Amino acid sequence: MRKCNLIVILVSLFFMNPVWAFEDDSGCLLCHKYPKMGRINEQGVKRSYQVIPNAFGSTVHRNVPCTDCHDYIKQLPHREIKQGVSCDSECHSIKNPATGKNFSHKSIYDKYKGSVHGRDKIETGLDADKPYCVTCHTNPIYNPNEDKPPKRIVDRCVVCHEDRKFVTNWYKHTSRRIKEVKRTPSEIVQLCSSCHRDKTLIDRHLEAAKKEGRELGSKYAIAVESYDESFHGKVTKYGFTKAANCLDCHAKKDNYYMNVHDIRPSRDPESPVHDNNKLETCRSCHTHADENYVELDPHPTSKKGENPFRYYANLIYGWVGDIVLVLLVGMAMIETFGRRRDGVSFRMRMGSSWWRKSSKSKDRIK
Amino acid sequence: MKLSAEAQNVLEASMRINEIDDKEREDIESLVASMPEDRVLLYKNVVSNPIGDIHRYSIHIRIQHMLTFVTFLTLAFTGLPIAFMDHIWATPINELVGGIDISRVIHRTLAAVMIFSMIYHVVYLFYVVLIKVISGRFELQRSIIPVLKDVRDFKHDMQYFVGMRDQRPEMDKFMYKQKIHYFAAAFGNLVMIISGSSFIFPEFWAAILPSGSASYFQEMMRLSHPHEALLALLVIAFWHWYNVHLAPGRFPMQWTFLTGKITREHQIEEHFMEYLRNLVELPEERNYLRDLLDARELTLEPEEALQVEEGNS
Repeated sequence: MRKCNLIVILVSLFFMNPVWAFEDDSGCLLCHKYPKMGRINEQGVKRSYQVIPNAFGSTVHRNVPCTDCHDYIKQLPHREIKQGVSCDSECHSIKNPATGKNFSHKSIYDKYKGSVHGRDKIETGLDADKPYCVTCHTNPIYNPNEDKPPKRIVDRCVVCHEDRKFVTNWYKHTSRRIKEVKRTPSEIVQLCSSCHRDKTLIDRHLEAAKKEGRELGSKYAIAVESYDESFHGKVTKYGFTKAANCLDCHAKKDNYYMNVHDIRPSRDPESPVHDNNKLETCRSCHTHADENYVELDPHPTSKKGENPFRYYANLIYGWVGDIVLVLLVGMAMIETFGRRRDGVSFRMRMGSSWWRKSSKSKDRIK
Repeated sequence: MKLSAEAQNVLEASMRINEIDDKEREDIESLVASMPEDRVLLYKNVVSNPIGDIHRYSIHIRIQHMLTFVTFLTLAFTGLPIAFMDHIWATPINELVGGIDISRVIHRTLAAVMIFSMIYHVVYLFYVVLIKVISGRFELQRSIIPVLKDVRDFKHDMQYFVGMRDQRPEMDKFMYKQKIHYFAAAFGNLVMIISGSSFIFPEFWAAILPSGSASYFQEMMRLSHPHEALLALLVIAFWHWYNVHLAPGRFPMQWTFLTGKITREHQIEEHFMEYLRNLVELPEERNYLRDLLDARELTLEPEEALQVEEGNS
């Protein structure tokens, strides 16, 4: 009987069609479902090309068929891929409901390309150090904190909109965007630091700029460590959200989501930290800031070469502190030595601390 | 005991201020004359109550001390983990006080309390000094204001500790150590208030300072706040607490900050001038001392006193 059961299960498994969480019309999963699908590339890095259907099926790109982005694949099995996906390609199957055009990240991509970080997908040389879209963005889970929309809301919507599936999708789409999905300030600092703290990368760029006679920002080499030393940096690192993080000063204010892709160097007149724009940037938090205020250094450093005033002040402060402490503690030690010799005991006993024998004067009369 | 000229002046001034009549004056002078020449014998033989015998600090001073030390320690506890955040102890302590969102509120609130305590102290001090000046009871050397004698006291005290002198100097109500500590605390308090205000109101300081100096000022304040805080904490922990808790004769603690009273042996040893005033102001202290000297046979007989006087001359 048990054998019979097993046979029934095996046979039914054989005839079952796999049910993916998304449409796989092109049959990509024929190969890409396998965990071993991957290779070790020329740099010796292990690359996995496995697609886990259920995982991909719950991401923001779950409704985009593979070939919409990987449009260079015309046959299976496909040839070696040289270029890969560029984030400005148009998703043919999804229409932008506002414009009616095919959906695309092109507008934000173009903004990014014009920024100081802009680069092509495949880059060599110094530009390869710059971040591409996927350096900062993964393919995130669609609505990680909410499996099902609240019933009371869907119930209300279906009264007019009739279609429960439509309402559910609409709710998910809207609520995800209304919810704050920005990185926290400490995550932003961490993200920027992942490159700007890299000393070899920074040195490479400094050297190239020197060779080419290009000018880099005065804080370029110490951006992260000096921010960490600042009050903004310290409280942000502790998770405080109201102090300025990198983007608060280095991205323009009018549209956060667009402008964080448009970081410009301080020499660019459009940069919020350009000399002409600094005051306005400071004022976005420090409402009463004036021209004098702009002189305060948001990237303080005690390095001798960068800020000799602060370096020597710090040095003197340290020395004065040490000397004061040594003198005072030394004084207490001499005092204790002298009084102990004269017969003082640590604890008071029966109304006196002078029960011990003195080596220098008369003792207490017992 | 033959008093030094300075001590004699203090005694005279005190008797004048307290309007001592002739009979009492005779009583005080005879008691002082009968005290042994060696002051060491006095403080070694008196009996003291550990929680204090003689009034020293008013309730206001005790409240001010309490406010200052509670706020100071909590301010250090909430502030230092921010300034020294890259140290291993910083994050756990910051979490202990509820994280940055809580600790900054505590820090700023207690800063206001500390400033209040300072204002309370200054106003109280002005009031008390004014009353004393008007009534002619103010004595400069009895106050906390440093005088040249403090430098000499310091030198003599160090010489005593290393064995070059027989007796500790005759120090006043506030000895050199207390004056150093008081002015260090007052200076530190001011530095912390000004630098703290430059963090919370940077626009204000930038607006009132001349162009070009605002950034230097801010840099100095950014350094001053943590440096001064750390220095103050270390001085409190290694010096002040040693002096009032661990030093011989004071262990486990001096009760003065709670009871406002100082022990008799401490008063005679380190504040002899003040003890002379106590003898003038407190008849019961005179009686106590006279009984003690008799009981312990420490009284200087008139003949001995005469010999001492001759020897001195």
